[in-house]
Order: sequence, then structure tokens, then C-alpha cells
Amino acid sequence: MNDNLEGKKPTIEQTAVLLIDIASALMSSGAHTMRIIQNVSRMAETFGYDLDLSVFQMSIMMTITSKEDPSKLLTHVKKIKPLLLNFTIVSELSALSWETYDKKLPLETVKVDFQQILAQKRMSKWLVLILVSFANAAFCGLFGGDIYAIGLVFIATLVGFFLRQRMIYRNINHLVVFTTSAFAASLLAGMCYVFQLGSTPEIALATSVLYLIPGVPLINSILDILEGHILTGIARLVNATSLIVCIAIGLFTSMLILGLEKL
Amino acid sequence: MTIEMIRLMLIDGAMAAIAAIGFAVLSNPSRKAVFVSAFLAAIGHALRYFLIKSGLEIWLATFVAASFIGLMSILFARIIRCPAEVFSFPSLLPMIPGMFAYRTILSLIKFMQTSDVQKAQSFIMDFYHNGITTMFILLALVVGVSLPILFFPKVSFSVTRKY
Repeated sequence: MNDNLEGKKPTIEQTAVLLIDIASALMSSGAHTMRIIQNVSRMAETFGYDLDLSVFQMSIMMTITSKEDPSKLLTHVKKIKPLLLNFTIVSELSALSWETYDKKLPLETVKVDFQQILAQKRMSKWLVLILVSFANAAFCGLFGGDIYAIGLVFIATLVGFFLRQRMIYRNINHLVVFTTSAFAASLLAGMCYVFQLGSTPEIALATSVLYLIPGVPLINSILDILEGHILTGIARLVNATSLIVCIAIGLFTSMLILGLEKL
Repeated sequence: MTIEMIRLMLIDGAMAAIAAIGFAVLSNPSRKAVFVSAFLAAIGHALRYFLIKSGLEIWLATFVAASFIGLMSILFARIIRCPAEVFSFPSLLPMIPGMFAYRTILSLIKFMQTSDVQKAQSFIMDFYHNGITTMFILLALVVGVSLPILFFPKVSFSVTRKY
């Protein structure tokens, strides 16, 4: 296996372009900073380079240095695509980086594998829509809602999440997307109050927006801060908090419309 | 622990599992990871339910359950060769303090709209009580699930290694 690399070490430009693509794919699929650095450095070492990496919210900056000749180096900056969670990419790229390290794969093979991983199809949108609606209805049950509340939350989530999918597809600002879908879902769930359905309308209203909670950015931000990548961690935290504030604004608006005397 | 308690814990776990499946597919993980997160959510949430019923404070129970999920997810990460974060997050979600967050917003709006001083005071008390509880539960969740990853960095970064 080892003779793959002998005599034809990949050039510094080839390596830099591939590795920064991988780092940016990891970042936009929702990996935390430590994992990105570890994965990419592992690959760089296999190809015979040292690598230093800074990850920001909007861009990645990377300097790659030749191991034999430290004066030979290259810095590359790349924009990051907007966050679209995809944990299949994260785990498969992670596996690919170990495979590269252990089997000493040549750069061309890694490139082909990377393209294949990126080209995989996502789960069907409609299936996700149905599963999320069931999940939020189950949520309502967990909090103690009765059958009317569970049914209404199911419908509210179906509509709210559908709106969110359509709006994300049209590249509308994500804060607007979150506010609107929180508003739509909570207004529908508020029908419990309007038509006096069941005995737990409060729980229906409260759980109808929970499908929007940005859990992955929240956990990634705490992981980043705990591991010492404070700046990236705070950026992610601010991002997640602003989304939560938007959810609250949506809920707030529909509560004002429904009228507070009843709540 | 009576039969009734076990029955309630089972129902609780089953609903948590459905919730976890829905939130897992949002982040497009592999099939195996979806099932693992459903399983972890079920035992994690049933554990928290048991702890609360046996008299533990809600945030402490949440912290214990979240650390348990974190530990188990590293174990499962080792077995199905997939990073631990992939399923630790959706299995945490059923524990999100939704009702507390809702009451925080509700008391804030009521505070804003009332002119009665006495009522306003009780609303602001509600606001702080619910808001602080929400924040503590959220912190307990994320810190609890991250701690095992920090304690076992070698394991958590090499689970996808095959050789």
C-alpha cells in the first residue's frame, strides 16, 4: 500500500483545494470545529503536509505547509455554504479521513470518494415532513396533552414545516422563515382555544413550535466553547439564540392575535 | 417501583422514541443512527421520568439523563461506527423544556399589557422563575451530553476508524 505515495506526492495546490472543500463541506453539514480540524489535519498528514485551520461562521482559512520544506506554503480562504444539516456527510467524511490515514490512499481516490459522498441523495422531503409532524405530536403527548391537542399539533406542524421547507427552497432569509413558520403553527394550534377543544389547549400552543428548535447549532456551540474554540462557539450560539428569539416572536404574535384574556 | 410506574415509563419512552425519530431525520443521518437515537431517547427520557417521580429536581434529573445519553451514545458510536453527536442530539430533544419556555413568554406578554401593579409583580416573578428554569434545563442538557465527549476525546474522535 505504501508505495502509492512514493515518488508522486500530490502538489501543494491540489492538496489545498481538496482539503478546503472537505472542511467547508463538513462545516456546512453541521460538524463541530474540533472534528473538522482533526479530520482535515489527518488527511493533510497522510499527503505529507502540515495544516493550520481557522473556522469562522462565513469562511474557512487554511494554511498548508510542506513537511520537508517549511518555506513552501499556501494559504487558502473559502466561503462556507449556508448550514444544511447532513450527518451522513459528516460521518462518512470522518470515516474517509481515517481510511485515508490508515490505508495511505492517493489523492485522486480521496477526491473521487469525496464527490461520491457529496452526491448522495437526501431522505425524501415528504417522508421527513410526515415524520416531523408525528414527532411533534408525540412531543405534545409527552408534555401531557390530550387527544385534541395531539391532533391539532400534528396538523399545525404539518403546515408549519411545509411552509418552512418551501421557504428554505426559495432562499428566503432564515430568520424570516423561522418567524413565519412559528407563527403559522402556533396560530393553528391556538384553534384549541378558539373552539374550546379538549382540556389542555395551553400544551398544544406551547408544543406547536418546538419542531423549530435549533438543537444541533446549540449543542455544537457549547461543544466548541468547551473545547476552546470560543469565537466559533459564540458565533454559533448567537445564531441559535437569534433563531430561538424568532420562534418566540412568531409565538408571541399569534398569542396577541388569539387574545390574552383566554390564555 | 410498581407495575403502574413501569407502564407509565414505557409509554413515556415510546413517545420519546417517536419524537426522536422525527427530529433525527431532520439532520439526514444514516438509517442505523435513526434507530439508535430512538432507542437512546426512550431510555433517557424514561430514566428522567423515573428520577423526577422519585423526588429529584427537574434540572438535576435532566443533567443525569443527558450524561447517561452522552455515555451511551459514545458506546453506540463505537458499535455502528458513526460520530456520537449524530444521535446524541435527537435523543436529547424530548427533554427540551417547552412548557417552561412557553410560560416565560406568556408571563412576559401579560406583564407588558397589565396596568395593575400587584399583578405586574406576580407576572415578573413568573417570568424569572420560568425563564431561569428553562435556561438551567437547557444548560444541563447540552453540558450533560458534551461531558462524555470531553472525557473520552480519543474514543469519540476515532469511532469511525476501521483498522
